Amino acid sequence: MNQNVINFFNKIQNIDRRYIYIVVALSIIIPLLIPFNSPTYVTKPTADIYKKVDSFAFDENKAVLLSFTHDASTMPELFPMEVAVLRHCFERNIKVFTICWLPAAAPLVDYALNTAKEDYDVQSGVDYCNFGFKPWAIQLPIMLGMGDDIAKAVETDSQGRKVENLEIMKNIKNYDDMNLVIDFAGSSSAISWITYARARFGANIAAGVTAVMVADNYPYLQTGQLMGMFRGLKGAAEYEKLVDVFAAYESEDYPNGRPYSNEIIKETNVPITGDTIPYKYKKARIGMNAQSVAHIMMIFFILLGNIGYFITRNKG
Amino acid sequence: MKRQIPLIIIITLGFMFVAHSFIPHKISTEFFDWFQDWVKAISPFAVSLGIMSLFMVHGTKISRKVPNWQYSVVTLGGLIFTAVAGFVWGTQAGTPYMWLFENVQMPMSASMFALLAFYIASAAYKAFRARSAEATVLLIAAVIVMLGQVPLGAMISKWIPETSTWILNVPNLAAKRAIMIGVGLGMTATSLKILLGIERTYLGGGD
Repeated sequence: MNQNVINFFNKIQNIDRRYIYIVVALSIIIPLLIPFNSPTYVTKPTADIYKKVDSFAFDENKAVLLSFTHDASTMPELFPMEVAVLRHCFERNIKVFTICWLPAAAPLVDYALNTAKEDYDVQSGVDYCNFGFKPWAIQLPIMLGMGDDIAKAVETDSQGRKVENLEIMKNIKNYDDMNLVIDFAGSSSAISWITYARARFGANIAAGVTAVMVADNYPYLQTGQLMGMFRGLKGAAEYEKLVDVFAAYESEDYPNGRPYSNEIIKETNVPITGDTIPYKYKKARIGMNAQSVAHIMMIFFILLGNIGYFITRNKG
Repeated sequence: MKRQIPLIIIITLGFMFVAHSFIPHKISTEFFDWFQDWVKAISPFAVSLGIMSLFMVHGTKISRKVPNWQYSVVTLGGLIFTAVAGFVWGTQAGTPYMWLFENVQMPMSASMFALLAFYIASAAYKAFRARSAEATVLLIAAVIVMLGQVPLGAMISKWIPETSTWILNVPNLAAKRAIMIGVGLGMTATSLKILLGIERTYLGGGD
């Protein structure tokens, strides 16, 4: 083999890691600054959550609970999911509750609600209700208590109002009515909901997790204990697309969104360049561009490293 | 007595909760409701304890001027300032508390987590080598799962996302379940040991 090639690979085998950092930084920053259109393929675990949430549309006897079990560190992946689900609920007039178990998650819930409600005529205590921060120590009593009486278990919302007096609680008593819980976390915290809310009261549980935690939650998805799962930023991007294509769709035939269809979602590509969709509703899809390029760079590094390894090893 | 009383409380309450889970009787439900109120009353003390402990640890570091004591000043300053902002102006949108969250905590926490990408890239390049058959399998699986996670994978071939899902659904699950069953059995054994008073290390050492 040409000596120059061997020297080249010898050199890059010991390259300063700061050059790698620069390449990774650029491969993330450039796609974020200059978004481009790439296809978003919707997978079953995400579509299942969408269909379940959508089955509660315009039904005042049903509600969704969003449990925020993470802090700001995992926001880039989880926040777009939360905003997309809230947007779906507000678009389709679905009652939605939020709760969090970490003090650091409390402002995050407010931030997600404030971001999503800007474009909708929704009212706290009527269309949505934030139960606020509840200490981890009382998670179990609340989880179990909600199986009998939500208002009694939670008592007050984030604004200190008695939950039982709120208009949103009309026809909402327990997990039979608040029949879907989506837990957003950078961990396997959905297990608690599976163990107590699902096993004992039959509530439907879904999880929104960071990509690194997907493998840990897969056993529950396969058994059906999790009825769906947002798998990292990809899951958030898929849900954003679903909301754009169905829930936020408006036409003469469908003035308040249209029903889910496998055919439509397969054939439709929603362009994210331009100003048609507000930035906050396409954040995950723009992020997926950066993730795509970063993954390609990572694979390139792995291949380059291995080629160099074999060439220099054989020479040695 | 320092050991006997906590042991009696734990064993008694432990068995009562086991009974509550399996006997949905009125008495057991009422007992559970009563317990809920107690937990709610006790939990704020844990927060007070945490704050006191933080002040004691960092206060000592500042007063003794130990190396890097300046970070302790920042920690206590951040704690006091955030708490005051929340108590005085509330925690709703547009308040100093939310400003702190959006402009300090959020970007700092996300930046810390984002550092992972750089370390993974560097480690992948420097250490992820097909040195053995096992390492080669791991390497191929990693590349397929990474490609399956982005649109490019499906654009190259529909087999990539399908293979990625298979890797997560079959070999990954087999390993995960084995670990989970092991952990589950361990937890059951430990819980039983605590309930029966055999496991006492949580009480702390010495009398």
